[in-house]
Amino acid sequence: MEFLSFFENSSLAIWLRESPSVLAYPTLLAFHTFGMAFLVGTSSAVALRLLGIASDVPLAPLRKFFPVMQIAFAVSLISGLLLLMLDAVLFLTMPVFYIKLLAIVGALTILRFLRVRVFSVPAPSEEPVLAGAMLLCWMIAITAGRVTAYAPFIGWQSGLAVLILVCVLLTGRYVVLRSSAAKTSA
Amino acid sequence: MEALLNLLLKWPIVETYFQTYSWAWPLNEIVHFTGLILLIGTVGIYDLRLLGMAKDIPVASLQRLLPWGVFGFTITTITGLLFTTGVYANIQIPPGTVLVYDGYLQLKLVFYFLAGFNLIAFYRSGMSREAEALGPGAEASSRVKTFAGVSLVCWIAVMYFGRLVVWGQLSG
Repeated sequence: MEFLSFFENSSLAIWLRESPSVLAYPTLLAFHTFGMAFLVGTSSAVALRLLGIASDVPLAPLRKFFPVMQIAFAVSLISGLLLLMLDAVLFLTMPVFYIKLLAIVGALTILRFLRVRVFSVPAPSEEPVLAGAMLLCWMIAITAGRVTAYAPFIGWQSGLAVLILVCVLLTGRYVVLRSSAAKTSA
Repeated sequence: MEALLNLLLKWPIVETYFQTYSWAWPLNEIVHFTGLILLIGTVGIYDLRLLGMAKDIPVASLQRLLPWGVFGFTITTITGLLFTTGVYANIQIPPGTVLVYDGYLQLKLVFYFLAGFNLIAFYRSGMSREAEALGPGAEASSRVKTFAGVSLVCWIAVMYFGRLVVWGQLSG
């Protein structure tokens, strides 16, 4: 804890926390959002392709988007570490923060596997299960990350609400696709 | 102006929803982020391809991803309207007042509509057909590249000023 307070009280941390400038804390948060948008966004679009959406998109050239994800990850990581430094004690004593980190590690591990085994070999298998698992990890990471701003009880409630919403949407999509498939065959 | 906006945008039913359920505001934020990710992911890949990244991808094949971007756009817009119409439940300031005094929210909306007009220009000017015809390895014309660049810049600006909304001047 002493060690963490050292970071929290560093001059950079104090400037980021206390400066009234919009370029301090607000812009740091915005960079964390940019990193998230491009890392999670680009990798999720690639996952949708592996799940069979836009199956005409050739797999090999999609590899060119991995550097975008890497830069976005670097932006998220650096801005994330700075944000952590500002409130190290608060975040590191919060269970939901560890859920967020685990989910990110899960998603990045799958992403790395996909890059090596799907996007770097001729005629790969498309790994839809892994692509779905990565989307699930991202959904957990986004939810857990967002609710760090709330009391734990509200966080768990929100998580449950997200779970219910996702189940309803997936069931709805399944029913619609099935009924449209039935119409085509009839 | 402020009074008219308050009359139009202050919705007691949404305020009651946010007031009654403590999970409602964070849920709305999470859905807003999910939509943003779908929009930036699909539209970002499309725009970057037009700008010359991963040119081996035929543009027509990427168009099948765009309905997911439209879906993301729709859910961010709906959740954004819920934040606006129910904002009183969160900060006890009515939405018209926020819209009139929050410069960041105004800038966010400027770039949001700019992205919209850019998209209308893309479809009305024949650029969309020009883009669709770009096969593997084909380079987009400079006006199509301009569209793609403007689109990316606009969405990044929407995210930036969106993130700043809570720091907007509300003392007026």
